[in-house]
Amino acid sequence: MTAQLESSPVTSVDVELQHQIEQFLYLEARFLDERRFEEWLDLFSDDVHYWMPTRTVRYERELDKEFSASNEVAHFDENKRALEERVTRIRSGMAWAEEPPSRTRHMVHNVIIELGDSPSELLVRSNILLYRGRLDRDVDFFVGFREDVLRQSEDADYGWLIARRSIFLDQTLILAKNMSIFL
Amino acid sequence: MVVDIRGLVDAKQGTVDPRIYHDEEIYQQELKNVFARCWLFLAHDSQIPNPGDYVTTYMGEDPVLVVRKRDGSVGVFMNQCRHRGMRLCRADAGSAKSFSCSYHGWTYDLSGNLVGVPSEDDAYRNEINKAEWGAVKVPQVDNYRGFIFGTWDPSAPPLLDYIGDFRFYFDAFADRTEAGTELIGGAHRWVFPANWKFAAEQFCSDMYHAPISHASAVLALTPDDQDVDEEVFPMDGTKGRQFSSELGHGTGFFVESGDVLANIVGQKPADWFQGGNPEAIGRLGDARAERMRGAHATLFPNFSFLPGINTLRIWHPKGPNEMEVWAWTLVDKNAPADVREAQRIGTGRTFSVAGLFEQDDGENWSEIQRVLRGHIARRSSFNVQMGLGHEWDDDPDFPGKVNRVYCEMAARGFYKRWADMASGMSWDELMASVRKAVEVSG
Ligand code: FES
Ligand SMILES: [Fe+2]
Repeated sequence: MTAQLESSPVTSVDVELQHQIEQFLYLEARFLDERRFEEWLDLFSDDVHYWMPTRTVRYERELDKEFSASNEVAHFDENKRALEERVTRIRSGMAWAEEPPSRTRHMVHNVIIELGDSPSELLVRSNILLYRGRLDRDVDFFVGFREDVLRQSEDADYGWLIARRSIFLDQTLILAKNMSIFL
Repeated sequence: MVVDIRGLVDAKQGTVDPRIYHDEEIYQQELKNVFARCWLFLAHDSQIPNPGDYVTTYMGEDPVLVVRKRDGSVGVFMNQCRHRGMRLCRADAGSAKSFSCSYHGWTYDLSGNLVGVPSEDDAYRNEINKAEWGAVKVPQVDNYRGFIFGTWDPSAPPLLDYIGDFRFYFDAFADRTEAGTELIGGAHRWVFPANWKFAAEQFCSDMYHAPISHASAVLALTPDDQDVDEEVFPMDGTKGRQFSSELGHGTGFFVESGDVLANIVGQKPADWFQGGNPEAIGRLGDARAERMRGAHATLFPNFSFLPGINTLRIWHPKGPNEMEVWAWTLVDKNAPADVREAQRIGTGRTFSVAGLFEQDDGENWSEIQRVLRGHIARRSSFNVQMGLGHEWDDDPDFPGKVNRVYCEMAARGFYKRWADMASGMSWDELMASVRKAVEVSG
């Protein structure tokens, strides 16, 4: 016998929306992995804030100080123009950290949608795992979780725009020679 | 085996032997004779404002705790328990009343004194002399304008003598206003799979790499109506200066040209650093507070900074083939809010693990290091000859031994000092050679 759930205690998001949002995030990952950076940029709203704080090792009682605050330094603290500059850099043919290019694979998991006050904005949490291979022997993993605000937009090619992205990495000391990648 | 390190650096001919970046024996001598003797940057005052505040860091490969004591002074001691050697504190930073070892519970106060031993009466029968078993303390700690330094060597010269003639240039970064400086919270920390000297030397002496290594970043940040070679990164080396200290420190910068700062952090912070702060002009004069542009600098051995861009960092050695970078952003305490905010964002965006500039340094250094695995790759010396013999010491604005901005004079100075120290030269000899050089140059 198959259980029929009228309403779920876990999620109130309907299957259709969940599917749509997951496909949107997969598409974004695909753009990055296929180095279609200009199409990737189009997925962000013009007022986007793309942010990745730094992180330090702290004891439990001071875990609230683990991530750098919004008025402190960050790995990424970008508006749309800054993201565009990063793409310009990569496309210059002289960005040696990406020339020859890295090979990336973005894996997006555990997508959880929270409905906000406005039906056209969603808070979307996801886990991210990025494998990056470079040259012959460079191997890096960047793992963390993301909090996105997705905004429904009729003008957007794919129905949604990323209006805010916060990325929380699970490394404090970054075990890579650079982050010439996007998460 | 003790390697004759002095033979590996020829500052007169401008050559270095690549083994200095690779060989384990040389690395061990370097830890002993350079890192365990030099004054090393530990922390900035603003990181530990209140009693009990601490950060953990390294001096060479030795972990230390830097603690604000109750009397306001700073204690620095090994982050190592004297019982069986457990790391006392495993957080990067925090606030504590004491430090308790997680192995058997020995407890140390904020100065590193052993104050508690579990079962002291029962197990030790009160026979342990706690006064003898405190954490190993760093014998000399000093503070210059909020920058806390320490040295393991009780016979090292005073900090100001160690900074020496570099102080004029360090002050352009550290002594701009009476209010002083502070770090913005948070730090960029990452790993380069390369020898620490590549980074320290580059910040000491290498403007030459910037237009090539960082071509993509300069391009991305340059507005369309600007000419990169003229306005942003002048290729004319006469438009800047490099300074080299006999003490191993060095810096280089453009003079009145090179708009790179405005493109990196924005016009307002650029103005603030280049003439917009009357107090800085009063204290430093116009050469340092108005006309220096896009400077790079290293205080020997592994403390580097970029005045204006205001990143500062330590290159922690982690074996001959790896370093950790710990980088912070410095601001003038009394800088206007918009200057501070632009600095916070601009510095992270350019000089950090994800920074538009610094991403490419990592690629260079890690590939150099990989090539050095080859036997033949280590057999031919590297060329450090740029500007050899063309220095002058009577510059009207910039004191000491100076040269054109595209130059390797400061690299030769850095490696000479490194070789002298690593080979075990005594402080008497080390400081005598500095005095002699100063006398010769009059
Ligand atoms: S190692 Fe610290 S108490 Fe035993
Ligand atoms: Fe560089």
